[in-house]
Amino acid sequence: MKKKICMVGQFGVGKTSLVRRFVHSIYDDKYLASLGVKIDRKDVSIDGQSLTLMLWDLAGEDDLTEVNLSHLRGASGYVLVADGCRGATLQKAAELQQRITQALGPLPFVLVVNKADLRDQWEVRSAQVAQYGWPTFETSAKAASGVEEMFLGLGTAIIRDHSQTEASGQ
Amino acid sequence: MRQSSQLDLLATLGYVVFERSTSGFELLSLAPEWLPAGPISEAFPFLDVFLPDAEEFWADPRGCSTLPSDFWTQPGADGKNLHFSATAIAGERKLLLIERVGNRFEQTQQLMQYAHETKLAHDEIARLSRELKRATEAKSEFLARMSHEIRTPMNSLLGVAELLSETALNDEQSEYVRIFRRAGDNLLNVINDILDFSKIEAGQVELECVAFDLADVVQDAVEIIGVRARAKGLCLSLDIGPEVPSRLMGDPGRLRQIILNLLSNAVKFTDRGGITTRVELDQENPAAGAIHFRVCDTGIGIPADRISTIFESFTQADASTTRKYGGTGLGLAISKRFVELMGGRIWAESTPGEGSTMHFTARFAIADAKAVSNVPSPKPAALGNRTLRILLADDSEDNRFLVRGYLKDTGCVIDEVANGADVVEKFKNGVYDLVLMDAEMPVLDGYAATRAVRAIEKERAAPETPILALTAHALKEARDRSVEAGCTDHLTKPITKTALLEAIGRHAPELPSVVEVESWLKPVIPAYLEKRRADLVKLKTALEQGDYDTVRTLGHQMAGSGAGYGFAKITEIGGALEESALAGDTPRIRNGIVQLERYLNDIRS
Repeated sequence: MKKKICMVGQFGVGKTSLVRRFVHSIYDDKYLASLGVKIDRKDVSIDGQSLTLMLWDLAGEDDLTEVNLSHLRGASGYVLVADGCRGATLQKAAELQQRITQALGPLPFVLVVNKADLRDQWEVRSAQVAQYGWPTFETSAKAASGVEEMFLGLGTAIIRDHSQTEASGQ
Repeated sequence: MRQSSQLDLLATLGYVVFERSTSGFELLSLAPEWLPAGPISEAFPFLDVFLPDAEEFWADPRGCSTLPSDFWTQPGADGKNLHFSATAIAGERKLLLIERVGNRFEQTQQLMQYAHETKLAHDEIARLSRELKRATEAKSEFLARMSHEIRTPMNSLLGVAELLSETALNDEQSEYVRIFRRAGDNLLNVINDILDFSKIEAGQVELECVAFDLADVVQDAVEIIGVRARAKGLCLSLDIGPEVPSRLMGDPGRLRQIILNLLSNAVKFTDRGGITTRVELDQENPAAGAIHFRVCDTGIGIPADRISTIFESFTQADASTTRKYGGTGLGLAISKRFVELMGGRIWAESTPGEGSTMHFTARFAIADAKAVSNVPSPKPAALGNRTLRILLADDSEDNRFLVRGYLKDTGCVIDEVANGADVVEKFKNGVYDLVLMDAEMPVLDGYAATRAVRAIEKERAAPETPILALTAHALKEARDRSVEAGCTDHLTKPITKTALLEAIGRHAPELPSVVEVESWLKPVIPAYLEKRRADLVKLKTALEQGDYDTVRTLGHQMAGSGAGYGFAKITEIGGALEESALAGDTPRIRNGIVQLERYLNDIRS
């Protein structure tokens, strides 16, 4: 079963690094701005079920460019990424969640607060994150912490959502 | 043949062309090595999101010939990332062009990268700036608190030393007290320097722009230093060039502070000879109001290798200088900042063993001839014959003792309280000419008490009683807070007797304490006043009971009799009471009663 997952968030929050860590188990400290969409795939097994995750890494939103919501067409779920060191990126993530829900309806998603290796410099407080009541993961692409759990967690939610849709279809 | 070779050329340039037909997509050009095998939607997953738009476009191009896609990146056969973009072309045939993008992608990415890095750097600067602001605020708060904690006991120490110096002392005791006071003054100067410097560092210093007389300011500084110079046997001279404009606009207080600092250093480092202060036009700056000041001494001088560092913070020419001459090394750093704020510069010339010349320039605006001088002229300390009723609020017994000591020979009557709630209580039931209000007190602080007093006055429609905040907080914010609460002035502890008396003299209301009456009337005056004092009691009772008729009658009687006995004020108050009673204006009646009580208390015929 092939499932499309989109990575969305403000620029520089670590979306590409999370995918690189998950797919290739590597990390590069140098920031490289993403352009358009970068597509990778990763085969995983969740609860004995094989799943091919098509990971669409969407260029981060900045003051001049908005995320192109048409790139989320056909997505089974998405990852909202924020940078713990930049408080504004959490608001941006929340804003994107609203826009995506408006355009595509409810989809399984997880909120990720990245850069947990720099936790002592975080502006984002746990209370701010908790207010949304969303499934949340704290990750560090650099330190390889929480990344696998996050993608597999979303994969599980997508499978569950898929089963429910099928059951209701029957 | 020709079309085919053109399509082959496209493939060489990194393009492949497909034609949209009813059966799907047909490759028209050669297949380059980077083109994945299989149907194009599998070869290029990105087309899943682009083709729906392309189909719409082919169906209805709306006058456009091409529809470009975003860039996308996907791994090639060897796992390396390849960048692509697609273009749908409308016309006779529906074509889909897929380009393997190289330089164009990298150049766009570099631009994006630059924009993002700039934004990130900007955000980081903003974050650091917020942190710096927080740290500076914390430092200012710490300094303000420490300054307060030091100033409070200093107030008692210096004040008591001043009182002690006014008592009968033998020569030895006088010398001890003199040393005591001098050391205290020095310590206070150090605290003031540190506070000044921290304010400059925090960017909290703003220069005033008021009209002043340049000669007055310079002469004033020279006179202040003159006492110390003469004590060391030094000659002091002042030379102001005839071409120098006398009326300027600027900050006379800060200018005096700079000159005082330079003169004070000159006296400190000179044992023989003299000190000359020269003021002339700045030859290097033709602007009107550009002035060059110099202070020349015949002192120990500054070694050449130290001359450039003396204006840095906490720096003196030599560490041993501090041990021998004292000081924080902040005076010149503060002067340098003030001079810079005045649009000038400061520098030194010196020959060790022969003396130094400190120069500074500053730019002022020329004052309008009609501009009123804002330099506060010291007022005489005497309170005259005024017998003031003062409400003194301070939770420190030592400080209350000190103020009592300062005022003991003035004839002022002092009521003392130790917290703000008692101030309000006393004020409700008593009549005061002036309030001395400490800021930090238990139960109710001085600011809240001031606000309460002002509210009472407003309710009674009574004039504002001068309230002088007397606090150990020296920063500008403390002054602002006092004024905001409704205080008339803000005095900083430690305060000298002269400064306190001067402030009270400046703010206390002028009281008609002595009333001249015709000699033949003198025998009947005491009885007349006694009756009015009895009226006062009746008025208060009537007001409590809402008995406006009695108020009106008593007011009418007073209005009719007062001036005849020489008390025009009683006539005035009586008239106001009568009018207020007719109008049923309770606050105005209350105010009239307060005025009458105050007046009757003051009268000494």
